[in-house]
Amino acid sequence: MSPSVSQPATAPLLAVHDLTCCFGGLVAVDAVTLQVHTGEIFGLLGPNGAGKTTLFNLISGITRPSAGSVHWKGVAITGAPSHRVAALGMARTFQNLRLFNSLSCLDNVRVGLHRHSRQPKLQALLGTAAFRRRDGALRRQALDLLASVGIAELADRPSESLSYGQRRRLEIARALACRPELLLLDEPAAGMNPTEKQELSALIRRIRAEHQLTVLIIEHHVPLMMALCDRLAVLNFGRRIALGSPAQVRRDPAVIEAYLGTTVELGSADASGSCAGGPQP
Amino acid sequence: MDTTLLVQMLLGALLALSVYLPLTCGQLSLATPGFYAIGGTLAALLSTKVPALAGAADPAGGAYPLGSVLLEMLLAALLCGVLADGIGRVVLRLQGIYLTIATIALVEILRVVSLNLEITGGAVGIFAIPQPFADPAGYALFAGALLALVCWLCQRLAVSRPGLAMAAIRDDAIAAASSGIPIEGWKRLAFVLSALVAAVTGVVAAHFLNAWNPRLGNFDASITTLAFVVFGGSRTWVGPVVGGLALTALPELLRPVGDLRLIVFGLVILLGPALFPQGLVTPERLSAVAARLPEPLQRRLGFRLSPAEALDPEVRP
Repeated sequence: MSPSVSQPATAPLLAVHDLTCCFGGLVAVDAVTLQVHTGEIFGLLGPNGAGKTTLFNLISGITRPSAGSVHWKGVAITGAPSHRVAALGMARTFQNLRLFNSLSCLDNVRVGLHRHSRQPKLQALLGTAAFRRRDGALRRQALDLLASVGIAELADRPSESLSYGQRRRLEIARALACRPELLLLDEPAAGMNPTEKQELSALIRRIRAEHQLTVLIIEHHVPLMMALCDRLAVLNFGRRIALGSPAQVRRDPAVIEAYLGTTVELGSADASGSCAGGPQP
Repeated sequence: MDTTLLVQMLLGALLALSVYLPLTCGQLSLATPGFYAIGGTLAALLSTKVPALAGAADPAGGAYPLGSVLLEMLLAALLCGVLADGIGRVVLRLQGIYLTIATIALVEILRVVSLNLEITGGAVGIFAIPQPFADPAGYALFAGALLALVCWLCQRLAVSRPGLAMAAIRDDAIAAASSGIPIEGWKRLAFVLSALVAAVTGVVAAHFLNAWNPRLGNFDASITTLAFVVFGGSRTWVGPVVGGLALTALPELLRPVGDLRLIVFGLVILLGPALFPQGLVTPERLSAVAARLPEPLQRRLGFRLSPAEALDPEVRP
């Protein structure tokens, strides 16, 4: 496989090439190359601090890369601001949940509809019947999205009052409201119990089918990822150490080392590898 | 209550709304007195130095034409709008306290410049600004109409797309940007709107006060207008209006207490936020009050429709 060769006929939906991000002396993401193809569920695995979230931030325009490139459908979008990235068709959720806490659940989703809710200014100013009709239609869309993640009955509640799992779902609904082609999920199952994880896994499959989505997902929970993903990339210390189908990745010696801490006689790994690269539950 | 105080209260409420607007997207700007001073100085200069604006009325007796005041307001709004847009491009890159400090610097720069310019009359300022109204009642009506217009704009802003976008930016700018909201643009819009309100208020104030000097737009004014919003509550436009009206009136109403009034005023400012951390008016209290209004009026005012109700407004009676 040669990732640098361009494929003119079928450019991948998202192509990340040699993407690097340094924070001072720390190389958080180190020349990562990967491609996400339309329709697949692509997983990013790796221990804490491996650079997964930083990679998400680079792709979604929150952090500017130090080097490398991001291509969307063959067009370079490296360093584009996040609202531009969202407009192209990428929506994301956040590891630590970033909901609009003073707004109701419905309004959180309505914010996601921002780009699709433009109305003639004069009508909006005067609150004409046409404006209210369209506003009602947008609220219905938002409510439908809440229903599709299973929390329609919470529409009126302030988002602050939701349980953890419900918040995760609300964040997914808000991301779906952007009508993305690619959905980036940053640890959507974090803090969930096994049953909730199963439900979430089913939810991701269902919304992918319903909204014709491609999904790029970060998750720690290895069994869930093995079952859910079509392809996986594994990061460790900012580097991509494996790429392939779940079966391939599972057998990869570098992955086993990163996860189980097998001592390998590498000079550099000796010094820092044993504790920093430790396993994640 | 005398009408002069009423005019001051209305102007105070307008300035409070000017501070409130950037706060809707989480930007604490203290630039309001700066733009207020630009509006006031511009009105003072135009009405005293441009004879054409005085119209047919002879300078000795007749009232200054209202059309000229409106023209001054338009010019002040244009000038401050353009200025705020330019300054906003630079200053709004700053966040939190740094933005606030930059806006304080802006107010200080404008004050020092007008203090040292010959045309603005230096420290003495500009005197004998002509009056469009013979008595304070005229000003009260005019300022009241202006306040009503700005309140209406704020309400429309709050219940439509911009309000939601600004609330999202206030809550979490990164999440808002990731939801496709160009946050720089909306922040700048709020900043420009704030400048416009302050500028037109300055024009009215200049005529009303009859004289203008650089002290009217200083750092003290920044803090006073901020106190309006803190006291009244910054989550709805009603809060700043209440805060502006109340805190402008209070020192005057306390006059009978003599020198004690400053202490009482200080206590109110101190206790207000302590007892009502979100200000006197919060959306929750507001909707509790609104719930007592007749239902059609409630809906007309856009008060908290439950989502199910809001879905099909035309279906409902």
